[in-house]
This record gives sequence, structure tokens and C-alpha cells, in this order.
Amino acid sequence: MPPPKIPVDLIMARLAQEAGEARHRLEKARDILMGPLETDIAATPYDVVYEEDRIKLKYYRPARGPQIKTPLLVVSALIHRETILDLQPGRSVVQNLLKEGLEVYLIDWGHPTRKDRWLTIDDHVNGYMDNVIDFIRRRHGLNQINLMGVCMGGNFSLMYGALHPEKIKNLITVVTPSNFDTDKGLLHLWMKEIDADRLVDAFGNLPGDLLNIGLLLLNPARLMFDKYVGFLENMDNQEFVENFIRMEKWIFDTPAVPGETFRQFIKDCYQRNLLIQSRMELGGARVDLQQITMPLLNVYARYDHLVPPEACDRLTQCVGSRDTEDLCLDTGHIGIYVSHKCQKELVPKIARWLKEREGSKEAPAEKPARKKAARKRKPASK
Amino acid sequence: MEQDYPKRSDSQPLLATWIKWTMDFWDSLIQMGPGPTGASPSGASPSGAALPEGAPSPPVLQAAIKMWEAFFSLLSEPQTVSALFQDIHAPSEIILKMAQTGWGAYFHLHRLWLETIRAPSREPKDLRLEGLDQEIFRSWMETYEKDFQRLLNVPQVGLTRLSQEGMNRLADKFYQFQSAMGEFVYTIHLPMKKSLKDMQDLLKTHALQGKVSGDFKDYYKIWIKYLEGDYMTLFQSADFTRAMNKALIAFGDFTLARQEMLADTLRGLPLPTNRDMDELYREVYLLKKQVRELTKMLIKTETSQ
Repeated sequence: MPPPKIPVDLIMARLAQEAGEARHRLEKARDILMGPLETDIAATPYDVVYEEDRIKLKYYRPARGPQIKTPLLVVSALIHRETILDLQPGRSVVQNLLKEGLEVYLIDWGHPTRKDRWLTIDDHVNGYMDNVIDFIRRRHGLNQINLMGVCMGGNFSLMYGALHPEKIKNLITVVTPSNFDTDKGLLHLWMKEIDADRLVDAFGNLPGDLLNIGLLLLNPARLMFDKYVGFLENMDNQEFVENFIRMEKWIFDTPAVPGETFRQFIKDCYQRNLLIQSRMELGGARVDLQQITMPLLNVYARYDHLVPPEACDRLTQCVGSRDTEDLCLDTGHIGIYVSHKCQKELVPKIARWLKEREGSKEAPAEKPARKKAARKRKPASK
Repeated sequence: MEQDYPKRSDSQPLLATWIKWTMDFWDSLIQMGPGPTGASPSGASPSGAALPEGAPSPPVLQAAIKMWEAFFSLLSEPQTVSALFQDIHAPSEIILKMAQTGWGAYFHLHRLWLETIRAPSREPKDLRLEGLDQEIFRSWMETYEKDFQRLLNVPQVGLTRLSQEGMNRLADKFYQFQSAMGEFVYTIHLPMKKSLKDMQDLLKTHALQGKVSGDFKDYYKIWIKYLEGDYMTLFQSADFTRAMNKALIAFGDFTLARQEMLADTLRGLPLPTNRDMDELYREVYLLKKQVRELTKMLIKTETSQ
């Protein structure tokens, strides 16, 4: 057998060169890390205009005045902070919406404590969201507002739109799972087997750290290893370090999820897939997707490992609206909020879509009369 | 002091002898010393001279000594000693059995581990991620459930039985948690082992072909891709989902048992427990909900009027 041909001399020379580069990089990194760093997130100025329990409503006013009369309420997921939508200058969905002339309201769900463990999805949708939307409507003197839901916030927005269609002018869902009966995506596989009852009974609220570990496990090679190797390689780049730290701040600021909300979301959505079948119930009322009669823009990401396209692409076929549109972007779950490319694609599309429908006739203030069969409220199943 | 020492043949006479020696020792001590009040039980001074008139005698001490003498006399009776020793071997036999069981289980696991290391067919590349090597964890759980868990589930008696049962429940849940977490961590570790072995093989092949790259980053990128792929294969397997679910449930059960134990321990302190606060929070939650609904109804009524 011929001896292996390993260019030892080349390898040694390469090692020596890289050792020198590494030393130089470390010296520069030391100066950067110990010097002033701009790592603030959610830096766009806002006013807190409404508070209820742990909920805060942030109001962002466009600098040049609103170009669309109807304000936009953005609802993010409970599982992560809303600050991802305003992570850094140049990569902020909120800032770009303001540049398009939209008045933006953003719900900050805060950090649940033990006393919030009894809050259900009904409390979030028909409680907090309804109060917030009524507040915005009164503030602007409008019957309807625009609603945009992101991820689990999109699920809440769908439920709200189905239960209170008279209050919503246009509905946008971004990376929102509506069909949970798919084997694509590890979360869908794992959540089918989870015993939500035992977890909630043991922990009360689902701890943020436990959720973080679960999310990191979705791709440990990249999220727990390669990411930090990349950081070490770019430690001498101040802009990279600042962006990296901003992202780290957001990633590990995961709030707990109220226990009863978690229980119902896992059982009714992930395990029984009731939402897309219009069989989900909140507070005794059935969430009928056919009642979503307002225009719907459904945005999802092709390479989303958390919410795969298969979990999103059935929605527009199940709602009652005739004005629906699907938009699939070539990005991942986080990239849709922060990638430079998506900032140029997503937000202008949303603004354009809303402006096209701004002049459409508003629905009357009172709920339209529905057919008795559809309106019949079934008692919540035990 | 003249003593009649019996011959030592087994444990019964040994105990009787010890008791007799003890009694004789205290007897002789009492006879020698004046006692705490300066008077001997016999009323005589140590030198044999009579105590001066009016010297107080220790009747309480005398009565106590008499009582102990009677008790030890009873103990030294052959019938009493044989009754005592009838079951003296039982506790030692139980302890010996437990130790044997423990050692047996340990050696069984040790043997399995050695086989895993030595067997040539157990190379990491042969480790199928779809069918994980569960044997060692299964053996431990079987041993634990068969031998140790039953001891922990023995009903307790007495005033502190609830606390004792709580402690046993906590120990039981802890062992189950340790086992489940061990299995889970083991499964997480498998793709790392497999990807490193695959990289070794790749490097060997490249070395034989003379294609070794001078840039280690190329190999790092390849290794990360292997690792990512292996983790994806693992995470989609039913075995991993089962191990993860088991670990979560065991963690939850252990957390509950620990909270109960902590609440029991801190019961004496003026501190509310999680359960107390949860009940309070629930009442507040229901009250707030009712107030909101009534407020909405009131506003609706006022608006319609």
C-alpha cells in the first residue's frame, strides 16, 4: 500500500500563517469587545399608549405623517419578543413600515409570571387583543383597522378575524402555521408526542429557558456550534460583533408561555389540528375560518425550519374571503424579519397591498347578520 | 474482684457475659466511691468507717441503681438473651441481600459497558441512528424497578409517614429523571460520534489518494454538513422523540416531587407555597374575568339606552 500523501510542509506553513492571523484578530477583537458597542435593540422611538396587566401597546408614528388612514396593528408570537421586528437600524420591519407611511401599533406581550398561568388563548384573543383593537378604533375614530400577525401572533390574528370580522379591514399573516398536520418541520413531529398536560401541571408556565433549549435543538450543529465559530472568525469586525450581540440578546430573551395557553395550543393546534378544520373553540365560540371575509395576504418562507411552507399554504383555500394572496419568499423563519433582501421585498409588498385596499368600503360598525347555523355557539368541549 | 467468666462459644453467652461485667463494674464502682453526695449506698464511707451522723443518703440514686440492676439481671437471663438473638441475623441478612443486589446490578452494567467497548462490530459507523443502543439504559431501569423502586414504594408508618413517603417519592423520581436524562444525552451525543468517525474515514481516503487539502476550513465545513445531516436523521426518528418525551416527563415529575418536598419542609415557616399562590391567582383571574365581562355588559347596556 503506498504511503499516504500528506503535504506536511504545506500544512505547517498554513498553521503558522493562521496562527499569526488569529493573534492579530484576537488583539483587534479585544479592543472591540472592551470598547463602546452599539447593541441596543428596539431603538425606534415609540409611545406606550395602552397597558393592561403585562401587555403594553407601542405606537409608532411615521416621521412624515401617515399616508394610509387605517393604522396597522402588529401582533407577534408569545414565544419570542416583539423586538425582532425592530432589531437594528436598516433591518427593522417597523422602521420600513413607517417609511412607507403606515401608522404602526405593536403589542408587547411582556414576560408572563406565575399569576399568568391561567390565561388561555381566549383571554389573549377575545380579551387583550379585543381591548387593544377597540382602543385603537376609538383613538382613530374608525370602525376597522388593519391587522398583521407574525408566527403564533398570526394564529391569534386568524382567530380574532374569524370571531370579529367586522373590526378588521385587512388581514396579513406572516410565517403563520395554520395546518399542523404535516411531517415537514421538526416542531410538528415533536409536538405531536408531547404530553402538554404533564408539562403544564409540573411547571405552570412553560419556562423560557426550556423553550430556548428546544429551539436550539432544532439545528444544534448550526445554532450551538457553527454560529460561534463564525463569531470567532469575525470578532475583529465591529459591525458584525454588534449585529451578532443584538441577535443574541433577542434569541435568549425568550419569555415563558402561560400554561393554559400552551396546553390548548399544543393540544388543539399541533395535535388535533382544529384550526384549519374550523373546529377550534375559544370561550365557547367556534373559530370558523369561513368568517374571515376581509382581504387576506398570507406570507411564508420557503426555507423555514420552524413553520414549513406545507403548514402555511392551505390557509387561503379555507377562508371565506375572495381576495386572498399567498406570497412565498426565499428565506428562513428569522430571515423574513431581518434579512436585507426581505426588507426590500416584504415590507414594500405589504404597504402596496394595504394601499391598494385602503379605499375599499368599510364594513358597518355592527356585526353583519350571520346565518343561524354558522352563528350557533357550541359549548366548549371538555 | 473475683468473677466467674463463662466460656465464649457463640453470641448469646457473649452478650450475657458483657451484661454481667457491666453490672459488676457499676456495683464495684458504687462500692468504691462515695457517690455525688459523699455517701455510699451502703451508708459506709470508702474506708469502711461509718458515715458521720446526719450525713444525707442518696435514696433517688439508690433506687435508680437498683432499677438498672434489675433490668440488666433480666437481660442476662438465658431465655431473654435467646429471645433477643432469635432474629438478630434477619437485619444483617436483609442488608447483605441489598448489597448483593446492588453489586450484581453494578457488575452487570459494567460487563455491558466493557462489551460495548471491546466488540469490534460496535464501531461508531455501525451505530444506526434509527435504532439506538438502548440496552444499557433498559437494563438499568429494569434493575432499578425490580430491586430498588419497590423498597422506595414501601408504605411508611408513624407520625412522619407523609414526609418519609415524600422523600422516597423524590428519590424515586430523581432516579428516573437521571436515567431518562442519561438516555437523552446519550442520543444527542451519537451524531457527534458518527460524524467524527465519518470525517476520519474521509481524511484517511484523501490521504491515501494524496488529496489532503491544506485548508482545514474545508474539512470543518464538510464536518458541519455531516453533523447537521446526522442530527436531522436522528431528530426525525421515533426513538429520539420517545427519549425526549420521556426526559421531559421525568423532569416534570421530578420537579413536582421536589416542590412537594420543599413545601413540606418549609411548612413551619410563614411562607406561601406555589400551590397556595396558584389557588389565589386562579381566584383573582376568575374575578377579573367576571369584572371585565360585567363592565362590557354595562357599557353595552348604557350605549343601547
